Amino acid sequence: MSSHKNIPPEERRRLYRKTYKKHNLANILTHWFNVFMWLLLLPTGVAVLSSPRLGLSPVWLQELYRNLFGSTANLIQFHYTLGLIWIFVLTFNVLLGFRKYFVPFAITRLLLDRDDIEWFKIKPLQMLGFHKDRELPPQDAYNAGQKAYMYVVILGTIGIMLSGIVMTFKTFFPPLLKQFAQPVHWVSVFTIVAGLIIHVYMGAVFPEEKEAFFSMFSGKVSAWYARAHHEKWYNEKLKEELEWEDQVTAEYLESIKEGALTTSPE
Amino acid sequence: MAHKPHYAFVIDVARCIDCRACQVACSVENQVPLEHTRIWVQDLGLLGEFPALKRSFVPYNCMHCEKPPCTEVCVAAATYKDPATGLVLVDQEACIGCGFCVDACPYNARYLDQRRGVVDKCNACQQRLERGQQPACVATCLGGSRLFGDLNDPTSAAAQALKNAKSIVRLDYEVNGHDTGPNIFYINLPEEAAQSGFLYMPTDDRQPLVSQPGELPREPQYSLAEVGWKKVLAPLLFAGIGASFFVQAVFFTKQLIEGEKEFEE
Repeated sequence: MSSHKNIPPEERRRLYRKTYKKHNLANILTHWFNVFMWLLLLPTGVAVLSSPRLGLSPVWLQELYRNLFGSTANLIQFHYTLGLIWIFVLTFNVLLGFRKYFVPFAITRLLLDRDDIEWFKIKPLQMLGFHKDRELPPQDAYNAGQKAYMYVVILGTIGIMLSGIVMTFKTFFPPLLKQFAQPVHWVSVFTIVAGLIIHVYMGAVFPEEKEAFFSMFSGKVSAWYARAHHEKWYNEKLKEELEWEDQVTAEYLESIKEGALTTSPE
Repeated sequence: MAHKPHYAFVIDVARCIDCRACQVACSVENQVPLEHTRIWVQDLGLLGEFPALKRSFVPYNCMHCEKPPCTEVCVAAATYKDPATGLVLVDQEACIGCGFCVDACPYNARYLDQRRGVVDKCNACQQRLERGQQPACVATCLGGSRLFGDLNDPTSAAAQALKNAKSIVRLDYEVNGHDTGPNIFYINLPEEAAQSGFLYMPTDDRQPLVSQPGELPREPQYSLAEVGWKKVLAPLLFAGIGASFFVQAVFFTKQLIEGEKEFEE
């Protein structure tokens, strides 16, 4: 059993003090940019949705935002102007950091493996109160739930962007495309929102994940947190660290030897 | 004065000579593209038996319904019934020209202007109304067939004409308890027009009557993107969001009850 609960207190203290870098600055900034844009785009978007036949948004919200912005046209213009900025920045970031950030991220952190499948079999039951004693399989830098949600977000974001562009450039696209862009837009948004509630709760409120929240600012998590929640990633980090130590030691020994050689004639 | 206007068109069918000056005036006033028109005149053809033949023409435009089916499908409320005047308008800065409302209008009163990417329709010449003028079609009507005015104001020409009408017809579309309540009042329709499918009302009964289903009004149509499966999808999404919120609420309550331990991360 490799449970983190078996670790003695001394070791725990040592792990607490040590930190590993989980997020790079590019990810952190893109994340908070996305948060800021969602905070503005989601309420204005919901306020735009006003078909009584659709019935997706409360009338008071529609009226509040229409009054706040002066008119329906202003509200929609605000929504799609901001949306275009959002699309531009996210696309720009992904394209610019494609080789350096995106591809390594997708390969090392996004792919589901056998442990993740196992996690899906156990975790939902545990949340319902069954199998409390069963051990969860060790997880990567992101656990299976986080990975699954990431797929939802990536697909949803693409759906939102494409349908949003269709609806914004209204003279360019045919009416049928503009008709179907509407359900694609709100279905993508509300699918993401369904997961977003859990995402925000787990990230910002849930006590066991407190470090995950602060890591979204500092980029760092304690080794203890990594050991307890993302064991496979922790092991990898440990391996990297040991390799680094070996390398440094070797270099050091080399330099001493050279030093000994150069200084020996005198 | 707490006076709520009830703007309506009153069209004297007997006076229409099918000159279509209204159509030209409307297109010029509102810069309607050549391939489209906001208003039109329907020729009912030759009516009656030889030698007592008659011809009748029915001018059409937006009915500015009391309960318009078109505004209900607009996802952004870009088309709406103006609460102040009761006119059905399109905010073309907000409209994306998807065409849901074009399909839904039982009177074919809307068209899609793909060049501008918006839906256009009769707005009773708002720009002229604001200056106290009549709509272009009314101002230009040679025979005095088209009238427009506030029916709540008994001195208006429209109200007067309606009061003195020999017969009144409204092209109601009524199905499943949904009555459009159109605001074009056709008056003085010749008896022969009854046989053409256009509803005719006897002189002694001045109450507007629901027409039989004819060519117009037609049944509102709903695009595949607008209808049906969204009734499944929307509740499904709400259920998802609700379940998600419920789960976090349960965990948050648990967290509040149990409290936080400092040395447990």
